[in-house]
Amino acid sequence: MSAQVNQDKRYVMAIDLRRCVGCQTCTAACKNANATPPGVQWRRVLDIETGEFPDVQRTFMPVGCMHCANPPCMHVCPTTATKLRADGLVTIDYDICIGCANCVMACPYDARSIQHIAKYAYGVPMKSEEARFEPERLGVATKCTFCKDRIDLAAKTGQTPGVDPEVTPACVNSCISDAMHFGDIKDPNSNVSKLLAKTEHFRMHEELGTDPSIYYILDGEEA
Amino acid sequence: MSAADKASGAVTSAKSVPSFCYNCVSGPDFLRVKVENGIATEIGPNFDGDRIHPARGRPCVKAYGLVQKTYNPNRILTPMKRTNPKKGMKEDPGFTPISWDEALDTIAEKLKAIRAKGVIDEAGLPRIAASFGHGGTPSNYMGTLPAFLAAWGPVDYSFGSGQGVKCVHSEHLYGEFWHRAFTVSADTPHTRYNISFGANVEVTGGPTAVIRHADARIRGYKRVQVEPSLTITAACSAEWVPIRPKTDPAFMFALIHVLVREHGVEKLDIPFLRDRTASPYLLAPNGLYLRDPDTSKPLLFDEASGRVVAHDTPDVRPAVAGRHKVARAITVDADAARQEFADVEGRTAYQALVDHMERYTPEWASQICDVPADTIRRIANEYLEAASIGETIEIDGVTLPLRPVAVTLGKSVNNGWGAFECCWARTVLAMLVGALENPGGILGTTVRINKPQENRHMSVKPGDDGFMIQYFNPTGPNSWEAQPTTRNLHRTMVPIVGRNGGWSQALGPTQLAWMFQEETPEGWNWPKPTYPELWFVYRSNPAISFWETRRLAEAAAKFPFMVAFAYTVDETNYMADLLLPEATDLESNQLIRMGQTKYMEHFWDHIGVVLRQKAVEPQGEARDFSWIAAELARRSGLIDGYVAQLNRGISGVSPLKGETYDFALDAQSALDPDKVWDAVCKAATVTLSQGKECHGLDWFKEHGFYAIPQSRLGWYLTPTLEKQGLRYELPYQERLLRLGRELGNRLHENEIHWWDEQLTEYVGLPDWHDVPGRWERALVNAGGSLEEFPFWLLATKSMQYHSGGNAAIALMDEVSENLHGATGVIINDKTAEKLGIGENDRVEVRSHIGATYGRAALVKGVRPDTIVIIGQFDHWATPYIKDTERASLNTIAPMSVELTDATGSGADIVRVAIRRADKAAAA
Ligand code: SF4
Ligand code: SF4
Ligand code: SF4
Repeated sequence: MSAQVNQDKRYVMAIDLRRCVGCQTCTAACKNANATPPGVQWRRVLDIETGEFPDVQRTFMPVGCMHCANPPCMHVCPTTATKLRADGLVTIDYDICIGCANCVMACPYDARSIQHIAKYAYGVPMKSEEARFEPERLGVATKCTFCKDRIDLAAKTGQTPGVDPEVTPACVNSCISDAMHFGDIKDPNSNVSKLLAKTEHFRMHEELGTDPSIYYILDGEEA
Repeated sequence: MSAADKASGAVTSAKSVPSFCYNCVSGPDFLRVKVENGIATEIGPNFDGDRIHPARGRPCVKAYGLVQKTYNPNRILTPMKRTNPKKGMKEDPGFTPISWDEALDTIAEKLKAIRAKGVIDEAGLPRIAASFGHGGTPSNYMGTLPAFLAAWGPVDYSFGSGQGVKCVHSEHLYGEFWHRAFTVSADTPHTRYNISFGANVEVTGGPTAVIRHADARIRGYKRVQVEPSLTITAACSAEWVPIRPKTDPAFMFALIHVLVREHGVEKLDIPFLRDRTASPYLLAPNGLYLRDPDTSKPLLFDEASGRVVAHDTPDVRPAVAGRHKVARAITVDADAARQEFADVEGRTAYQALVDHMERYTPEWASQICDVPADTIRRIANEYLEAASIGETIEIDGVTLPLRPVAVTLGKSVNNGWGAFECCWARTVLAMLVGALENPGGILGTTVRINKPQENRHMSVKPGDDGFMIQYFNPTGPNSWEAQPTTRNLHRTMVPIVGRNGGWSQALGPTQLAWMFQEETPEGWNWPKPTYPELWFVYRSNPAISFWETRRLAEAAAKFPFMVAFAYTVDETNYMADLLLPEATDLESNQLIRMGQTKYMEHFWDHIGVVLRQKAVEPQGEARDFSWIAAELARRSGLIDGYVAQLNRGISGVSPLKGETYDFALDAQSALDPDKVWDAVCKAATVTLSQGKECHGLDWFKEHGFYAIPQSRLGWYLTPTLEKQGLRYELPYQERLLRLGRELGNRLHENEIHWWDEQLTEYVGLPDWHDVPGRWERALVNAGGSLEEFPFWLLATKSMQYHSGGNAAIALMDEVSENLHGATGVIINDKTAEKLGIGENDRVEVRSHIGATYGRAALVKGVRPDTIVIIGQFDHWATPYIKDTERASLNTIAPMSVELTDATGSGADIVRVAIRRADKAAAA
C-alpha cells in the first residue's frame, strides 16, 4: 500500500541485525533522552530464539514505533491526535489525545503505551525526574517520536539527520555496534539510501500493508 | 511539547560536560553529561572523540544509569556510624549520621594508634587491609586515595571480592609469564578466525570490542563460540558448539593434535617456531633441558653445521623437530641439582609436544567434550587454513607476518582447575602458526604483574635461557617466604604471581584469606591469621560477589573495624563501623590514562589522558575522594608522605615535577582537589606532548581528553622480542616444572602438605586430568552424590551489570529484563519439561551447601545438563535490588582448598539440583 500523504522526505531507520548485540544501550539512551517513566520503552531490543538444541539461533531485534506510512494507529484514532507528517514521522498530539487506547490495540508492533499515573524509578521522584516530568504525557498514548525535536532542529540549522549527531535520534547516536542508521530514504544520496541499495533487508510485518519505516539488514556490503 | 522543549522553557542554564565511564574493566569510554539547572539529566556519547576512541565516543548501557546513580534516594549522603555493636546478617547495624569531622577523626585516631603499635602485627601481617572491587576499576574513581595508602605503607589486599580468583585469573598470571599479557585479546581489527572458548566479548568487552567484532562480522570473519550455553556472544557468532562444562582443555588438546600430528611441522610456521620459541631446545630423558656443562645454557641442534650448540650461538639454523645425539650435557633441576649426561639422545621441545599429543585425538576429545570429532577436526583445519602462514601485512612501513587467527578464553575457562591447560593450549595454538603477538593473532593488552604498567614492551628484558626476565616469588631454600606476609599467602604459595605490590597481592588466592580467618588447614604451622585491625572497603561487595557468600558475610562480621566508602548500604558494609559517602561518578574530577594501558580491547590508535569531570555538585554531604584522602593523611600525620606520593605521580599519569617542568604540590595545595588535578593535568600534557603543550584542569573541563597518535606497531610484542633476540617460553614448561618442585621442597621441609594437589599443576607439558571430575569428587568428599545433584550450574555475565557495582540502579533492572533469562535461572526447555518446571516458575537451585531462588527461564540454547545464572545477585541489604528475588551461583558455590588451583583461583561452577519451589522458602 502506498503512503497516505505526499511525502517529500521520509525519515527511516536501517538496522543491521548482523551488528546488533542486544545490549540495550539504545533502550537506555532513549529513556535518558526522552525521560520515559519506568516500564515505558519507546525503543527496546527483542531477544528471539529459534531452532532446537543444539541447532539454535538467537537474534536481537531493536523495535519501536515503525513510523508507518500507512499507520493503523492513525486510522483508528477518533480525535486526529495521531498524524503522519510530510517527513514520515508519525506524531501524537498530547493536547488532543483522549487516551482511548484504540491505537495501542491497533498497532501491530506493540509500540504504544499509556500511563495514567506518574511512576518513578524508586517510588519517590528524583531530582532528575522532577526536572523532566511532563504532566501532559499522563493519560495519553506515547511512543517513539523519532526524536522529533532533533529532526525539527535540523530544519532550522540545515544539519542532516543521521549524519550530524545533534539532529540524529538518541538511540541511533548511542548504538555501540553501529547497527542503527537514520536518514531520508527519498534522498538517493542519503546514508540510508546508499546502505539499503547495497544490502538485503526486510521490514517487519510488511504483509500487513503498514509500510513501516524501519528496515532490517540481513546481508550484503555496507555503503 | 517534548521533553527537551518543555525543559528548555524552565531551563536557565544548560551545559554538556565531557567525561568518561570506567564502571567496568573495558573503560575508559567517553561520554557527555547533560546538565540543566545544575541537575544531570542525560548521558550520551561524546562525539568529539569519534576519531580517538575506538567506539567513536560511545559508552555502553551501564553509563546511561549514571543519572539515576547520582540521584538514587537510597544513597548514603552523610557519614554514618554503627550503633549496634553486634555484627551479622541478622543484626541491624543502626547506622546513625555523624559529621565528617567525627568520622575522619575516629579513623585518624585508629590509624595513629596502629602506627604506634607498628604497621605489622604479631602474626607478621599488615594491620590494615583494603578491598577494592572489580579489576582495578575503583582506582578510576578513588581520586588520590592511592597516595594515602602508599604513604601509609604495608596494606593487605588479601580479602578479595571476586577479583583475584574469580576473574580470568590463570590468564592473567600465565599470560604475563608467556607474553606480557595480563589480558589476552584477539587482534580483532585484523583477525579472520576466532575460536572463542566462553569469551563473552559482546558482553564484557565494552563498546570497543562490540564495534570491532561487529565490523569484523561484516568484513566476513568467522567466530566459533565453544560454550555450554548460547550466550550473547554465541548468538553473535557464526557457529555455536555446546561443549560439556569445564572440558575445554580436551577440545584444545585435540586441536593441537590435529595441527602437530595430522598436519605436521611443514604446515606450521617454522621460522616462528625456530627463532621465537623454545621449540628447538633439547630435552633430556628426565624432562629437563639439556644444557652446556660449562655455561648451563640450553642446547639445540644446528641443522647447518650438524652440531649441538648453545641456544644463543649466532648464525645457526636450529632444528625444530627430531631427536639428536648430545655428547656431553647437564640438566639443572630444582634447587640447582645438576645431573650429568653423556651420549644422550635429546628430543626437541617441539618433538616432545608431538609425542605428548599423540593420544589426544579428536575422537578421544569427543567423548569428553560431548562434541563430534568431525566438528573438532574441522575447526582445527579451518584454523590452520585461516592462519595463512606466509602472508604479511605492512604497518607504518614495517612488514610483519599476518596470522589472522585467535583462540580466546572466557571466565571459568581461564580460571580454576583446567585453566592452566587452557591457557597453555591456547598459547601453543597461537605459537604453532606464528599468531602469537603478531598481527591478526592474539596479543596482550597490558601488564599488571610486570612494570611499567603503561608500556608492556619496556618490561621485556633478557632473562634466563634466552627468555624474558621474570619476577617470581622466590622458591629457593633461603629466599622463599617461609612465613606469609599477607593473609592470602601470595608470596609463599604462588611463585608466578610475583611481588609487584598491590596487584600481585590482589591476585593471590584471596579465598584462602577468607577461609583461614575461620579455620586453618591441618598442618598449618604459621601463626593463626589475625583479623585486620582496620579494613577499608570501596566499590566492592564480596558478600555478594565472592563464593559461599553467606559464610563470607559472617566472616566479615568478625573484623574489628571496617570503614566503607559507601554508595548505599550493601551486604558487606552492613558489617561496617563507619560509612563514608564519596562523591560518585558525575560528582568529582579525576584524570586517568587512556589507550593501550588497559584491559580487554583497549589497544587504540592513540594514547592519552581523559578527565572524569565533576558535572554536578555532590549530593548531600558526599565528598570528593581526593578530599577524603587528603584529610585522612592530614589528620593521621601522613601529609608529607601523601604529598610526596602525589608528586611522584601515583594518582596521576606522570610525576608532577620533571626535568623541564614543575607542578609539584605542597602540603597546603594538596588539600584542594582542584589544585591537585590541575597539576596532574598539566604534568600529563607536558609529558605526553614532550613539552609542546600544557593544559590545566579548566582546559580539560572543556575538551575532555588529550590524545596523541600511537602506531599499531605498539600492539605486538613479537618484534620487541625479535630485537632482543629473545624466545617465548613455549611449548615446554621447564621453568614452571622446576619452580613447582622447589616450592614442593620448601613446603615439605616445613611439613606442609595441604597444597600438594596444587603442586601437580607444575608440569613440562600438561595432561588431561578429568577437570569436571574435580568438582564431582569435591561433592562426594563433602558427603553429596552426583545423583542428588545432577546438573552443572554455571554463571555468566550481562552487559547491564558486569562489574558495574550497579545492582541498585533501577534502569539496569528494567532494560536487562528485555533479555531472556537475564534476571532468572536459565534451563533447557526439555529438561524443564521433564522436571515439571514452566517459564517464570519460581525455582530452587540447591547445592550441597545451600539453596538459591529465582525464576526459571526456559531456553533451547543451553545444554540439557547445565543450568546458567546471569550476574551476581541474591542481595538482602542493598536497597531496590533486595526486593527482587534473584538467584546467584555465589550463594551456593563453596570456597575450598580442594577447588583451588596452583595459581590460587577457582571457577564459577558447582553441581546442583533444581526443582519448582512454589512457596517462598527460607534460604
Ligand atoms: S528515535 Fe528517539 S524516541 Fe524513538 S526510540 Fe530512538 S531515541 Fe527513542
Ligand atoms: S545499542 Fe545497538 S547493538 Fe545495542 S541493542 Fe541497540 S541496536 Fe543493538
Ligand atoms: S561500563 Fe565499561 S564498557 Fe560500559 S561505558 Fe563504562 S567502562 Fe565502558
